[in-house]
Amino acid sequence: MAMETNQDFQVIMGRYRLGRLLGRGNFAKVYKAHKVDTGEAVAIKVFDKQSVQRSGTMEQVKREVQVMRRVHHSHVVRLHEVMATRSRIYFVMEYASGGELFTRLSQSTRFPEPVARRYFQQLITAVEFCHSRGVYHRDLKPENLLLDARGDLKISDFGLSALVGGADRLHGDGLLHTTCGTPAYVAPEVLLKRGYDGAKADIWSCGVILFVLLAGYLPFNETNLVILYRKITESNYRCPPWFSVDARKIIARLLDPNPKTRITISKLMARPWFQKEAKLNDMPLVASAPSVLLGEEAKQHRDDEAEDDEFAQEKNRAKVTMSSPAIDMKPPSMNAFDIISRSSGLNLSKMFDADDSSEARFSSRETTTAIVSKLEEIAEAGRFSFKLKEKGRVELEGSHDGSRKGALAIEAEIFEVAPSVHVVEMRKTGGDSLEFQDFYTQELKPSLGDIVWAWQGGDSPPPIVLAASTR
Amino acid sequence: MGCASSKQFKRGAAAGHEDPAILAKETTFSVSEVEVLYELFKKISHSIFKDGLIHKEEFQLALFRNSNKKNLFADRIFDLFDLKRNGVIDFGEFVRSLDIFHPETPLADKIAFAFRLYDLRGTGFIEREELYEMVVAILNESDLLLSDDAVEQIVDQTFKQADLNSDGKIDPDEWKAFARKNPGLLKNMTLPYLKDITMAFPNFVMNSGVGDEEL
Repeated sequence: MAMETNQDFQVIMGRYRLGRLLGRGNFAKVYKAHKVDTGEAVAIKVFDKQSVQRSGTMEQVKREVQVMRRVHHSHVVRLHEVMATRSRIYFVMEYASGGELFTRLSQSTRFPEPVARRYFQQLITAVEFCHSRGVYHRDLKPENLLLDARGDLKISDFGLSALVGGADRLHGDGLLHTTCGTPAYVAPEVLLKRGYDGAKADIWSCGVILFVLLAGYLPFNETNLVILYRKITESNYRCPPWFSVDARKIIARLLDPNPKTRITISKLMARPWFQKEAKLNDMPLVASAPSVLLGEEAKQHRDDEAEDDEFAQEKNRAKVTMSSPAIDMKPPSMNAFDIISRSSGLNLSKMFDADDSSEARFSSRETTTAIVSKLEEIAEAGRFSFKLKEKGRVELEGSHDGSRKGALAIEAEIFEVAPSVHVVEMRKTGGDSLEFQDFYTQELKPSLGDIVWAWQGGDSPPPIVLAASTR
Repeated sequence: MGCASSKQFKRGAAAGHEDPAILAKETTFSVSEVEVLYELFKKISHSIFKDGLIHKEEFQLALFRNSNKKNLFADRIFDLFDLKRNGVIDFGEFVRSLDIFHPETPLADKIAFAFRLYDLRGTGFIEREELYEMVVAILNESDLLLSDDAVEQIVDQTFKQADLNSDGKIDPDEWKAFARKNPGLLKNMTLPYLKDITMAFPNFVMNSGVGDEEL
């Protein structure tokens, strides 16, 4: 591509000033760049459209956009925007200033177990999140793991290795360098070209990565492909003497050649070895088996409560009035324009199929106290913390356990529309949209039932999960 | 933005429509975002009449999934989008109007647009009857059946706050002051989504007609 020349002064689409080349692949190059108006550093992946089209991988490029849009996670490289000209496609992405994890590894030969585990924990958190969104990376290897300025891990390249190698990569021992098509990280069932489970294949790759982080070299590494394939399909590797017993056990479970018996992510996350020191990291605590059980328990708990519903209501109503005497519960009133502005005819996001499903609204003829009590009751059943604020505002916050992206937090605001007519607006203020939708359809909406006069917003409960993103 | 010109754009997606480079220059949108909007425009304007213009029915279909659903406020939006007042929305009108809803568009523009939106009869004032009519419409839409007295009361109270000189109508300056004091009522004038449309509709990359930078 001609753009290697004079690249210091190039401005793309009037928006980004191109910097040095970071990496190069078959149809794309990655450059460091700066946003013209803010100076923010980004990475721009530039595809040559003609070669993409010729190779028939245009669908893959588009899928990469859809995938990256779906997996907003602190340990996944963020896609900011996409641009295109007649001959090129640009992905503007988060710039991971710490470079490749791989580079750091080759500098220190291998990582001590706590360091390796920390990266591994971050990797698994992100992979688990991707899987929960139906995304399988299928090309996990140290070259696709980047580090940000704080040294936290970021998974990159969801394009199925359109990119190989990098201009500024340090060639350390050379052993870890997988050239395009080298199957060192690929699960046996993928090599055998059988239909395979994307989740299980990713787990295998994570096992190889963990081995590499701890050992400083690949578990399966042969120049002869036939031998390499055989070693992988037999999972024939040897742990170096410095591996701890626990690490060996985990790796053996990850590198199980049979995908059916290979460990699942949730079981892996429940392992004491995996959980060790997880709390010292600032990463969000991960969904582990115990918290899944907790969810079950909570459901049980709710069922029990439903039986003596009236009693519970009594109790809760009493609690609100007693525990919060100092708070001014009088909700603000909506003026006429506030009410009008909520018309579904003015909600143009519908046009984009992008109705923000993190909000819900209903009207009620109950008193503020009754509405607040109901919300408190729902909070209690769902194990949310409950906070009553001034002027008819209520905050619900879930515990961090069992949530993939931090706790689900919901704010409810009560407004007075007319005497004894209230409108309650609920919106997600933290956590994951899908979790909000689940909570909304399965808990909130059914539980609110008897205090709701009418659901608002052109009768538009949140759309069915993922409806918007599967297009 | 380099050398994308209308000539270069002809073979691209929006042949017969306004040049995205020009629309990008006039609005908050980038060229790529304008091209994404074209993809969306194409979809809406071909949903019923397939003539590359958005008709009222197509607009209703896009908003309500129902081409026959009448809504006072949707009608107002349609009329304001129809800058040339010829009963249909063309691509240039579509982009320039959606620009109002961009998160980075100045608040003053949004306030002015909202005023025209609520000035149902285009008199340059929001009259009491207009507000009454709109409140009745939103309550009907929401299945909130309030008594006439209650509706009168809502309208009265709002006028008390907004109609500073008590002449029975809200003029543009009164509206400005009222809107700045109650920023919540302009929430629907911003579509956060417009900031990442290039990722929501990656199809545009196929059809981009933008000329390349000289490298």
